[in-house]
Amino acid sequence: MTHSEAAMLRMQNISKIYRTELIETYALRELSLEVKEGEFVAVSGPSGSGKTTFLNIAGLLETFDTGTYELDGRDVSRLSDDARSRIRNEKIGFIFQSFNLIPDLDIFDNVDVPLRYRRMKAAERRKRIESSLELVGLAARMKHLPSQLSGGQQQRVAIARAIAGDPALILADEPTGNLDSLMARQIMDLLEKINGMGTTVVLVTHDAELARRAERNIHIVDGVVLDSPSQAHSPQPRAESAAD
Amino acid sequence: MLGYYTRLAFKSFRRTPGLTALMVGAIAFGIAACIVTLTVHHAMGRNPIWWKNNVLYAVTMDSWDPHQPYDPPHPNRAPGQLTYRDATYLYGSDIPKRKALLSFVTGTLSGAPGQAAPVWTMTRITNAGFFHMFDVPFEYGGPWSAAADQGPEPVIVLSRRENEKLFDGRNSVGHTILWNHLRFRIVGVLNHWDPQPRFDDLTGGGGGNFGRPARAFVPFKWGPALHLFPNGSMSCWAAVNTYRELLGSNCVWILMWVELPTRAQRQRFLDFMNAYWAQQRTMGRFQRPRNNHLWKVSQWLRLHHIVSNSSRLLLRLAFAFLAVCLINTVGILLAKFLRGAPIAGVRRALGATRRQIFAQHLVEVAMLALVGSAFGLLLGLGGLAGVRALYAHSYSAYGKVAHFDLIGIAWALALAALSTLVAGLYPAWRIGRVAPARYLKSQ
Amino acid sequence: MILNIRPVLSAIKRNPTGALLVGLQVSITLAVLVNAAWIVHQRVVKIEQPTGINTRDTFTIAVSGSAKQFNAGAAETEDLAYLRSLPGVAAATVADGVPLTGNGGDTTVWLQPGHRGRFVPSAEISMDIEGIKTLDVPLIAGRNFRPDEIVPYVPGKIAPSASEAIVTQALAHALFPHGNALGKTIYGAVPKTIIGIARNFMGPQLGSPVYNTIIYPRLPGQGNYYMLLVRTQPGRRDAILRAAKKHIAASHRYGVIVYTQTFATANSLMDSSNRNVAILLTLVTALMLGVCCLGIFGLTTFNVGSRTRQIGTHRALGARRRDVVTHFLLENAIILAGGALLGAILALVIGEWLTTHYALPRLNLAYLLVGIVALAVVGELAAWQPARRAARIPPSVATRTV
Ligand SMILES: Nc1ncnc2c1ncn2[C@@H]1O[C@H](COP(=O)(O)OP(=O)(O)OP(=O)(O)O)[C@@H](O)[C@H]1O
Ligand SMILES: [Mg+2]
Repeated sequence: MTHSEAAMLRMQNISKIYRTELIETYALRELSLEVKEGEFVAVSGPSGSGKTTFLNIAGLLETFDTGTYELDGRDVSRLSDDARSRIRNEKIGFIFQSFNLIPDLDIFDNVDVPLRYRRMKAAERRKRIESSLELVGLAARMKHLPSQLSGGQQQRVAIARAIAGDPALILADEPTGNLDSLMARQIMDLLEKINGMGTTVVLVTHDAELARRAERNIHIVDGVVLDSPSQAHSPQPRAESAAD
Repeated sequence: MLGYYTRLAFKSFRRTPGLTALMVGAIAFGIAACIVTLTVHHAMGRNPIWWKNNVLYAVTMDSWDPHQPYDPPHPNRAPGQLTYRDATYLYGSDIPKRKALLSFVTGTLSGAPGQAAPVWTMTRITNAGFFHMFDVPFEYGGPWSAAADQGPEPVIVLSRRENEKLFDGRNSVGHTILWNHLRFRIVGVLNHWDPQPRFDDLTGGGGGNFGRPARAFVPFKWGPALHLFPNGSMSCWAAVNTYRELLGSNCVWILMWVELPTRAQRQRFLDFMNAYWAQQRTMGRFQRPRNNHLWKVSQWLRLHHIVSNSSRLLLRLAFAFLAVCLINTVGILLAKFLRGAPIAGVRRALGATRRQIFAQHLVEVAMLALVGSAFGLLLGLGGLAGVRALYAHSYSAYGKVAHFDLIGIAWALALAALSTLVAGLYPAWRIGRVAPARYLKSQ
Repeated sequence: MILNIRPVLSAIKRNPTGALLVGLQVSITLAVLVNAAWIVHQRVVKIEQPTGINTRDTFTIAVSGSAKQFNAGAAETEDLAYLRSLPGVAAATVADGVPLTGNGGDTTVWLQPGHRGRFVPSAEISMDIEGIKTLDVPLIAGRNFRPDEIVPYVPGKIAPSASEAIVTQALAHALFPHGNALGKTIYGAVPKTIIGIARNFMGPQLGSPVYNTIIYPRLPGQGNYYMLLVRTQPGRRDAILRAAKKHIAASHRYGVIVYTQTFATANSLMDSSNRNVAILLTLVTALMLGVCCLGIFGLTTFNVGSRTRQIGTHRALGARRRDVVTHFLLENAIILAGGALLGAILALVIGEWLTTHYALPRLNLAYLLVGIVALAVVGELAAWQPARRAARIPPSVATRTV
């Protein structure tokens, strides 16, 4: 796959500390990472290592304590909530492990959600919804409710929803975690197809087979990236993490 | 966006029809209670001649017993009415633009074409200024002339009701009729005129503060001329034996209203009263502290406690009720909204701003308020009918004032709908603050 | 079974605002409930206050002259003679006021001449010799007026004041708390001697004190206007009223009947405002209680709904249905208790405010206690149904993914 050398996502020394009354948890410690435009990156690592935290920060769902974060060439470290919402809406598509479709909206309306917040014209929205549902092969199920679909179909709707807004970056957090391996492969095919159209994809997965299909593999252990290109020869994951 | 939010609100209502009905019901009942009590309250406290509030004045002077106040619980209050001596003297002033003395006498009307027996008629004795000052509407004819106030010509004005009874509602101006067996010429017939409360006379005469207005009007001078004792309210602090004694006595039985369009006129009239007071005091009258007062209509209404205690109590109760209803609604809304927090989180992740989530939920609240208000209005109108039925046979004013009153109802509705909206602000705000990542991990 | 408070408390902590809001509703409802019940009680007491007069067999006819030629004195004497001659009439009098209607005079009775010293507000009513007999009010002490004491009506003159008076027990006591009022002199426009004390009855005034009335022996007629009060033998009222109305309407050339009214009507009119306030208060308070219960019902339903999985897990781990019901009822009870505590304080504050602003007697604490118990019972009943529904959640929901 060809892509320009511009960075879609550049994180430098990002730390995230969760503070509760009792303890402070370092979810990310001085994490540095770069994802190029058009890249397909798989992120793996043991449970509790900070993958979701990384993804949430990358998707501007959460803030971080130290470090800088540039998204698509723009420093997004200290933006207002509104500005972050706008960037999420326009630049980023999310895919979650538990699909997170809105149960009382039909498929069409679910895909419509991000477009609504962009105040798009009705005709334009319809066009985009239809084409993205077509892409995931569910154009015929537009009037169905999420509960009337299988898990794999629901996840495909979620993918359609993520790409409907034509984002530059897709963030997927274990999108296949709730699916069987056949379904998982279908989802992976879809993601590759989307990546093939130029969208950067960051995928968190436990599945080594799927991860291998990505252009690049990143390991996060204990809040630190182990083998990004810049840190090619990092130490191996710790034993306690491997046990997971 | 509003259309989208409205659609989402409908979906939300359909998801929880029971809770929605509960909230609508609570809002509706709260609003209905407010509509009923506020309407009654508003009607009672209304100023029926608000547009002249700053030019019309009721005149009082304290001519009462040197040894005790007129109203022992309120020692600084003068009697609400004047003695004949004082009233006629003050009436002689030409400072006011218009002026009128008011009292009630009993009278009978007879001699109308086809009338079998005389009818008893509460008659207002007053002056032409009465009709002008209070903008009394006429169906036929008009007020009598200023000359008739002084001169010998017997003239009478009939109320619309009386004219309907005696003349089948035809134009009777120019006809004559026997008033207390004397021939009076009809110069005017009123149109419907039933100010509530009856601000012009709050002395309790002629059916109380919310009673019917007089049925016939004759120039004031006919009362004294025919030695007709006042049939409205009269208070004395020394015995009187004859009508002639009454006219010279300290009994108070005459209401006086004046129209003083400018501040200067008002001051001049007060000065005039004060001078009269001082002069009379040297002659041994007015031994109580000087208490000459000109009351605006609004002050006059307040002074006479037109709004009853039970009305005020019920109003407060209604507000407490509305509060409970709203707290109820807030509780249910909050619970409902927070249950939907994961979905709000998804929306936030997909790019909705806090404000958009807030607006979406506020629209839901507004629709509840709207539907609740609509039902509340219906319930409230039913409630008013109920109050009317309940008080149909009662001395209380409620039956009279519990009517469809646009302003009162509009007030209540606006207030209730607004308070519902304000109450809904909190749950909507809470859900707007939901962190986007919070509920995404597991559902 | 052990009542385990800890999980209940932590459940409340999870939705503290919801609990708080229900508690607030409970407190306002309790405060209003208690005070409304107290006010209703006062109103009912007023309705049940005896009038002290025979309201069943008595009626009023008001007569007014219609011209100067009308001789009220002659007319009333004539009417009285006619009425007393009617078989079935027990007693009849002329009067210048009518008990229970608000139609009548107010006065101030003084203990010293010249409007000095202590004074007592009272209603006054002038009647002739059959006055107290017509009202059916017995004398407790002293005697009735003698015919020669009745001050006659003189045309063109307001009748001069009488110099004797009969007062009610209540007025006698208010004037002379320590001594026998009989034979004492009281002062108004002219001095009067108390010659009799009548059992308490409600005079013309509608406000309090309702039982303070003074009766003068006098034939009214001022303003060519007088009222005839008539008491008939039981069961004869309506027939006699009809006959008398017809006769009197025809008998005066210059007089007309202004109105007739039975005392029964007057009495129900007087009661109606108290009764109506009582009805409205009861209605609104009942609605409030209903809304409060719906609030409790709503919150419990919501809690049950959002904890379905959790309840299933507990059931799978061995909790019995009873334990689930107890959990929710206990949770509700804690909220109710908090609300009741706040509500009790609020009730006392409102009660105090009503005492100062509406001259209501101080709130009886028994009402507060009964109110708390009632609200607790009703509140628990409101939570009962959703709690039962929670208990019916099968343990299997824990294993099913939602
Ligand atoms: N809201 C939070 N409050 C406190 N600690 C948190 C919070 N969210 C995450 N953590 C902690 O931060 C660390 C990283 O969590 P994260 O969810 O990123 O792990 P993960 O790599 O996604 O794990 P998994 O593979 O199990 O999903 C963990 O130790 C977790 O306990
Ligand atoms: Mg994770």
